[in-house]
Amino acid sequence: MKYYLKLGFVLLLITTLASGILAYINGLTAPIIEENQRLTKENARKEVMPDAALFENIGTYNEEGVFAARNDTGEIVGFTFLASLYGYSSDVKSMIGVSKDMIVNKIKVISQTETPGLGANCVKPEFQAQFSNKDLQQMKVDKDGGPIISLTGATITTRAIANSIKYGMKYLLTLDVVKNINNPTEAGKSVIETVEVTK
Amino acid sequence: MIKEFTKGFIKENPVFVMALGLCPTLAVSSSVMNAIGMGLAATFVLVCSNIIISLIKNFIPNKIRIPAYIVVIASFVTIVDMVMEAYVPDLHKSLGLFIPLIVVNCIILGRAEAFAGKNNVINSILDGFGMGLGFTLALVVIAVIREILGAGQLLGYNVLPQSYQPMLIAILAPGAFIVMGLLMGLLNLKKK
Repeated sequence: MKYYLKLGFVLLLITTLASGILAYINGLTAPIIEENQRLTKENARKEVMPDAALFENIGTYNEEGVFAARNDTGEIVGFTFLASLYGYSSDVKSMIGVSKDMIVNKIKVISQTETPGLGANCVKPEFQAQFSNKDLQQMKVDKDGGPIISLTGATITTRAIANSIKYGMKYLLTLDVVKNINNPTEAGKSVIETVEVTK
Repeated sequence: MIKEFTKGFIKENPVFVMALGLCPTLAVSSSVMNAIGMGLAATFVLVCSNIIISLIKNFIPNKIRIPAYIVVIASFVTIVDMVMEAYVPDLHKSLGLFIPLIVVNCIILGRAEAFAGKNNVINSILDGFGMGLGFTLALVVIAVIREILGAGQLLGYNVLPQSYQPMLIAILAPGAFIVMGLLMGLLNLKKK
């Protein structure tokens, strides 16, 4: 009996020590990790919307902010959102920039763990470039009769990206800011003014 | 003593001779960069866990040695995971899933059980380094072959002419089995 208590005690001692050390290191690294992730997303936003002078949060999609990109004079030039859909073996997440006319400006895949050599090629700039200057109707892969050329052996990954952009754009179209972009209401105008003031 | 260090390279190579840790070997050897990252991360965990285990081996009752080893190993893996995510996020992204898998890499538990639990600290460090580097070496050799054949690249740079049509199967799972099997066979042939 006493022997078994000793076993439990030794194990308890080891696990307590281990968790103490882990908690300490987690405390050190957690803020850096969070900052890294924030920076990745911020850089991705700037990359897909290079004309933007500032980003204004207008909603949430896929647990990530939807941003209206405004140029130097405070006009909305486009929007960015995080598109995410399950591909072949992972969630493929990409930052999407669309112009105010709902044409894709640029996309950047920011996280995926698809098959190396096949689906993982979706991070290549040559592949991502073909999404530029396409609209909602064109977000279809070649196998489904659309203009997006699939990655070799990874139609599923390509389709996931195209669909994730399509769903995201459909969501954008339900937002008031987006609906009123071309004929700003009084409220919309005041937003533009406040942005200019706060700059 | 130097033998404890060098035995892991070829004579008792964890992958080719002892056939340990095959799951991470097959999974991460699709590119040389991943192979080096995985090998060094596993080496670090192996050396640290060997040190701690050889230090506390007299304190741990025999009956609970395995859970105690696992706790030590898992703690080091978690530390590596967190530190890499904070300071080398790009490498962490590409190794992604495989870091937590170091916990179940049987090389590490195997060395804890077979060596560190019976030997002193200095020898355990040498053993850990040797085995870790042997593991890295095996990964890199497989990865060099797979990356050149499967992508025409080495460390991400093109080494074969553009006209080369990459042999995709080499960087997929079957390629890993084939390359590893051939290398194992070659080594056995040489031994005879």
